[in-house]
Amino acid sequence: MLLRGTDRAAFAVAFVARLRRAGLRVGITETDDLVRALAVSPPTSRTVLYWTARVSLVRRHDDLAVFDRVFATVFDDTPPLPLSRSALPPKSRENSVHVAVPGTGGETATEGEGLPWATLPAAVAADDESADDGLGLPELQPSALAALADVPFEELDQAQTEALGAALRAALTHWPQRRGRRHRTDPAGRRVALRPTIARARRTGWEAITVVRERPVPRPRRVVMLCDVSESMRAQAAAYLQLMRAFTTVADAEVFAFATRLTRLTVPLRHTSTREAIDQAGAAVDDRFGGTRIAGNITALLDSHHGDTVRGGVVIVASDGWDSDPPEAMAAAMARLRRRAYRVLWLNPRAGTPGWTPKVGGMAAALPFCDRLLPAATFTDLTEAVHHLRDLSRPASFRSSPAR
Amino acid sequence: MKNPEEVVQRLDAVDYLADEGLAMAVFLALRLGKPLLLEGEPGVGKTAAAKALAQALDTPFLRLQCYEGLTAGEALYEWNYQRQLLHIRLGLASDDASLFSEDFLLERPILRAVRHDGPTPPVLLIDEIDRADDEFEALLFEFLGEAAVTVPELGTFAATRPPIVVLTSNRSRDLHDALRRRCLYHWIDFPPPAQVAAIVRRAVPEASAPLIRDTTEFIGRVRTLDLDKAPGLAETIDWVSALAALGATELVAGDTLRTLGTIAKTPDDRLTIAAAVPQESSP
Repeated sequence: MLLRGTDRAAFAVAFVARLRRAGLRVGITETDDLVRALAVSPPTSRTVLYWTARVSLVRRHDDLAVFDRVFATVFDDTPPLPLSRSALPPKSRENSVHVAVPGTGGETATEGEGLPWATLPAAVAADDESADDGLGLPELQPSALAALADVPFEELDQAQTEALGAALRAALTHWPQRRGRRHRTDPAGRRVALRPTIARARRTGWEAITVVRERPVPRPRRVVMLCDVSESMRAQAAAYLQLMRAFTTVADAEVFAFATRLTRLTVPLRHTSTREAIDQAGAAVDDRFGGTRIAGNITALLDSHHGDTVRGGVVIVASDGWDSDPPEAMAAAMARLRRRAYRVLWLNPRAGTPGWTPKVGGMAAALPFCDRLLPAATFTDLTEAVHHLRDLSRPASFRSSPAR
Repeated sequence: MKNPEEVVQRLDAVDYLADEGLAMAVFLALRLGKPLLLEGEPGVGKTAAAKALAQALDTPFLRLQCYEGLTAGEALYEWNYQRQLLHIRLGLASDDASLFSEDFLLERPILRAVRHDGPTPPVLLIDEIDRADDEFEALLFEFLGEAAVTVPELGTFAATRPPIVVLTSNRSRDLHDALRRRCLYHWIDFPPPAQVAAIVRRAVPEASAPLIRDTTEFIGRVRTLDLDKAPGLAETIDWVSALAALGATELVAGDTLRTLGTIAKTPDDRLTIAAAVPQESSP
């Protein structure tokens, strides 16, 4: 028998405190469950104690790893291991260091390090026009935004990117919809709503004179966005992150970043503070600016338990199509994605360049499975892309070009 | 049930092999009177666990399959409007109380579980809760927390013996924390090969031992391949049943290819698994 003579409540509270320090959200209810569970199931061995504590304290699969580690630290005589989650408070990140990003042309000025995401201005480009007003403007006026909208991402600084991100969020007023299975009373509806009809009949001596009708409530389609954060997409990553944040804060969306492996950013990007959200997302992605495995990551998404989120949704892939996986793998992955999703949009930062053709192997292989290939080099492009979402909810005959 | 070991024995008696973790989860759910939320990959035996539990406890089994658009009318209760209209037609509706009485109340699974009147509380399975929309979760809170259902016209029905509630989820959507807080949680892992073999032996008693050994070994290998949908326990059982129905006593490549449809559920997987067959399975 373990813990003989221990105050169960004191033990549970102390253990929960350990878990909470490790970043697990364990509340009073769970603690209470553990105390009661220990009463009905006395810990006769370490395994029994483990299962008792795990069943009563852990409520989600993602927390199991942390729980196991804390449990091992407490009950094995091993030295404490560094905890991965929340070990570094995101606030401790240095925000003010700017990285100069190689532009599309020849200028490659790299100085400093540590920004979680790429943004910044090639110093050269910023010099000539914004030398005097660069840092002085705390807030951008609409006219300034309009001027920035057509500037390529690599020439924007962080504040400008954030301001445009906010503008993007405001532009997201139309969301693709589908017919839902819930109904709402509506005079134009087709179905008779029995419950309100009978309730109404009460006024007329239970004679159902007014027939109340109902119709299905449209539901927003889920938008799933996959953003390439590899080296070749360095300049665009920050702007795309703003778009992803706009999606997560406005409605039902799942967003992922990938370079060599897939990272889910839906939760970090939902943070109320933009700066904090972007920082947390930056901390979550540890493979940025590496190589790219687009096909591998799309397959990973479809195979994971998030694979079902794609079903019936609008998928947006933001990438330049440079893929280290073979084009056949890309075609297979995109075919699977296409079968599962409602629409697939591809945002390519190079697509707006005059004379551009999808020659890159990955892009050429993916193209037959995309409903639209949209340019995405400036914020005007992104706003356009957002407007395309609205078009998607219209019947096929109203769209400018056939979907398949 | 007095301890987790007894849970294992009782479930074993109805041919469900539970591991220590699941037994503890079930035991605590029964003793603490809390709902049990089971998660795990598809085909790992979440629904079967609830069914086996009802069988082991010898109580009625009620099932609520969740789907999008599920409302109180399908999950909790509904008024029998047709009867109400007839009642009105016949001129019997004198006041509210006569129309909205228990005579016109249709019980749906949750209310039926609450109002169940028997020696033992029923097992209520709320299957694939992640398929219902998130509005529906809020409908469950009163029931999960208090084992009660409120019908505005009639009042609150509280269960004399709280039903045993099992919820399952495939994690296609994040469940709300408020729902998780009200439940005990257990993640069912895919069992190790020896356990798979034991489970298959129980599920398909007519299959021979070498066949079961070879198939579970093969499934173990197939699960390491890059597949759209890795075969789970349910598929393994289907496959062994199919092979047993063909009269196979051990695994041969020809039978494997003929019965591939039981474990490969997409054309791509079919090709991948078929490619793994000839050189890897025993002749």
